[in-house]
Amino acid sequence: MVTTLGPRPRETSPSLSLRSSTRREDDNSVAIRIDNVSKSFEHQVKGQVYAARDVSLTVAPGEFVTLLGPSGCGKTTTLRMIAGFGLPDAGRISIGDQDVTTLPANQRNIGFVFQNYALFPHLSIADNVAYGLHVRRKSADEIEKAVGEVLQLVGLAGYERQFPTQLSGGEQQRVALARAIVIRPRVLLFDEPLSNLDARLRIQMRQEIRELQKRLSITTVYVTHDQEEAMAVSDRIAVMNKGSIVQLGTAEDLYYRPASEFVARFVGKVNLVPALVVAVDGKLAQVDALGQRIEVRDPPAGLRTGAPVNLVLRPEAIGLTALAGGATAAADASRPAATITSRTFLGEKIEYLVECSGETLQVAQHSAGPNATSLIVGQNVKLRLPAGDVALLTVAGS
Amino acid sequence: MTATLRERIRTLLADPALAIAVLTLWLLLVLFVLFPLGMLFARIGQGEGGFTLKGVGAILFDQHQLRALWNSLFLGMLVGIAGTLLGFLFAFTVSRARLHPTVVAILDAAILLPLVSPPFTTAIAMIFSFGARGIITYDLLGIKGFTIYGLGSTLFSETLTFFPIAYLTLKPMLAAIDSNVESMAASLGSSRWNVFRTVTLPLATPGIANAFLLMFAASLADFATPLILAGNAFPVLPTQAFLQITGLFDLRGGAVLSIVLLVPALAVFLLQRYWVSRRFYVTITGKGAGQVPFDSISPGARWPLIGACFAVAVVVLYLYALLLFASLVAALGANHAFTLQHYKVIFTEGRKAIFDTLIIAGLAMPLGGLYGILLGYLVARKNFFGRRTMEMVSMINYALPGTIVGIAYLIAFNDPPFALAGGALIIVACYIFRYGPTGIRATIALLQQIDPSLEEASHGLGASTAMTFRKVTLPLIVPAFFAGLGVVFIRSMTAISATIFLVSISWTLITVRILENMTELSLGPAAAFSVFVVVIVFVVIAVISRLLRTFRAPGALPVTNMLGG
Repeated sequence: MVTTLGPRPRETSPSLSLRSSTRREDDNSVAIRIDNVSKSFEHQVKGQVYAARDVSLTVAPGEFVTLLGPSGCGKTTTLRMIAGFGLPDAGRISIGDQDVTTLPANQRNIGFVFQNYALFPHLSIADNVAYGLHVRRKSADEIEKAVGEVLQLVGLAGYERQFPTQLSGGEQQRVALARAIVIRPRVLLFDEPLSNLDARLRIQMRQEIRELQKRLSITTVYVTHDQEEAMAVSDRIAVMNKGSIVQLGTAEDLYYRPASEFVARFVGKVNLVPALVVAVDGKLAQVDALGQRIEVRDPPAGLRTGAPVNLVLRPEAIGLTALAGGATAAADASRPAATITSRTFLGEKIEYLVECSGETLQVAQHSAGPNATSLIVGQNVKLRLPAGDVALLTVAGS
Repeated sequence: MTATLRERIRTLLADPALAIAVLTLWLLLVLFVLFPLGMLFARIGQGEGGFTLKGVGAILFDQHQLRALWNSLFLGMLVGIAGTLLGFLFAFTVSRARLHPTVVAILDAAILLPLVSPPFTTAIAMIFSFGARGIITYDLLGIKGFTIYGLGSTLFSETLTFFPIAYLTLKPMLAAIDSNVESMAASLGSSRWNVFRTVTLPLATPGIANAFLLMFAASLADFATPLILAGNAFPVLPTQAFLQITGLFDLRGGAVLSIVLLVPALAVFLLQRYWVSRRFYVTITGKGAGQVPFDSISPGARWPLIGACFAVAVVVLYLYALLLFASLVAALGANHAFTLQHYKVIFTEGRKAIFDTLIIAGLAMPLGGLYGILLGYLVARKNFFGRRTMEMVSMINYALPGTIVGIAYLIAFNDPPFALAGGALIIVACYIFRYGPTGIRATIALLQQIDPSLEEASHGLGASTAMTFRKVTLPLIVPAFFAGLGVVFIRSMTAISATIFLVSISWTLITVRILENMTELSLGPAAAFSVFVVVIVFVVIAVISRLLRTFRAPGALPVTNMLGG
């Protein structure tokens, strides 16, 4: 995908001088290590509440890891502990080889991008960006050069004398980003940086952030509650719930092989269809669902015959075929029959709700074009379920 | 999310500058707030041979004093009602009648005059107007022997003096009501009157209650107006306490009477803090600023409302014009020949009072401003042990009636180890700890609007706590510093209720001289002094506003008013 960085075309590529200082040749090393970190606070009603509980995570140099979860899941708390804005009650945090668990934030050399940007309203754009360089006692020449470079990098060359309040949300976001990367931080941390932008700008900015991060190879931890955003930018995603990381993996891992019902439901749309295991044979299991027998490859270990499970069926993995009279019925005899109860046209796709054996399923199909005959509400259809590559979730308590 | 105790202790230990600042402030607060108050209570329980409450009852239940208590409460209620009504009238008209900004500025200037003058200025002008030889009663109406002294004139004068506080409380309240809510009620079929009755008024109720309590407290604590206008027929507590000490030399009796004032003052404070503040439906976010206000005033009601506001403004302006006139004629009511004699008097005989006042105000101003932002910053931004308590203690002298503070200081600093009475230092300290809290409040309010992430961003970029304060926080709270400076200066020039107990041969104040002039019937010099104070205060306000514009960083938030409520 081709992305442009900011509104102005780049003439030079100043990115080399901004490359992360901790970039190592040995990619097996660790840039951030979080070991069993916990933090709790006193809630007026609930008493002691864990904002983060035994969180462990390692991030490789140059890697982009996102903490994803609903509000209150502990993702921001974890991020702020990496930054040093809050100290953990227990556990260890290291950046590179250095234990930073109790190191003050101003000695960690990190770049932090806040949800509200946190630009200094009394300083010009240039002074905002130069702030961290002044703190590091860089010479005036160096500062001017670095500020110019980084503003060009984020597409804001010429904005030096403006003030934050004169800028749009997207521009402010770029300044915040420039201010964070100009100090050549060891790690770059983002706390829901796009949540104050409108939908279109959000998509553009997340591409810019990812581009920049790749070019500068800065180890990055990113916090968001938007699963699509997480999937768009991350190398790996850590899904958090109630203070703990519940699954860590690539976007594909989370989408196709969710480890729990929570992850399955949080990442993308999903049908969790009750099924019964009828046979297990090493790497192959047979389950009955919606009146049909389905083969499942690589079932979870310890799966027993007779156990109730949930099939993870993504809406786009289910196919629909119209029942044209009764002629084709024979060919589809083994497939489950269903009735369409709702149809929503969304442009590139059409979402259906279908009734099948008492279950309501979400099904998504690509739009076939303006003249294609599409299915209508009330129509009887046959479902095509995916075979083999289906994830199974064991039902708790069985 | 509240920080754990461990974290708070850790921050204090990790930051020696913070620890030193906190410790110093606590020492000052103990010495100048808690110690005097403790000594006041100790004095009340002090008899011939140790602790006793003998005699306290005799003072308390004396018929005369009971009447003074009743009078104080009754006057407070009336001033509360009248002042709130007037304040609401102005606030509602200004926020809803679509007045031209210039008209609003004129109204504002007129009714803010009493707030920045010595508290008894309107009272003096009342005497000039309606006294035995008053320009209206005697000259215009020809009434001989008219008595102005009593409840009516005191009520009138206090209402005019204090209603601007109600106005300043109610204006942001009304402005902050989401006009969409009112428009919604109208679109559901409500008439304008109905919208006002069923939406606007209920939403403004906590503000109204708050304004009433502020008026009540201000009247209760007011010492100067009753001293001039109430007369013997209508004794009130603050003046009784003063007379007990200066007339009967009964320090203990004065202390007891002042403590009686504490009860209603405390009740008002608690009501405000725990009842009114919880009922605020309107959060002032500044978000309503861009909205078009609901068209809530019918054309027929608009002009009467504006007319009423202007009538009040004209009365205020008339009283001040009369004051100026009285300072420029030989003898008001008798000889209206132009003369500068009174000004000559105040710049010769009164020179010491002027110099003393300016020195004291000049000292109290920077110290009070500094105290305000330092304490405000620590309380709002730092997690140290006992910061809530520190905030509460810092507000005590501000919340208490001046009479109590004055008597407490007199008792506490009369004898060793802190024999400071009679000096300038004690007056300066009184002003700092009594009026500095305005700066504290302004600082806290400003900091509450500045997201902590700004400071975290600075910290994260490598700046130390001290550097973050200097380069990020301080520039943003400069407006609060100047607001604090302004209030401390204005009050240092105009206050009397506490410091009348602290003046001496060596150090005196203009306000005290004005009062002396009034009792000696040297009305001309009293008027000249008053005009002088008003002029000085206006000049200083102009200079500070100018400084604020110059120093205000482009992104810094405005401080809404210099008087801070």
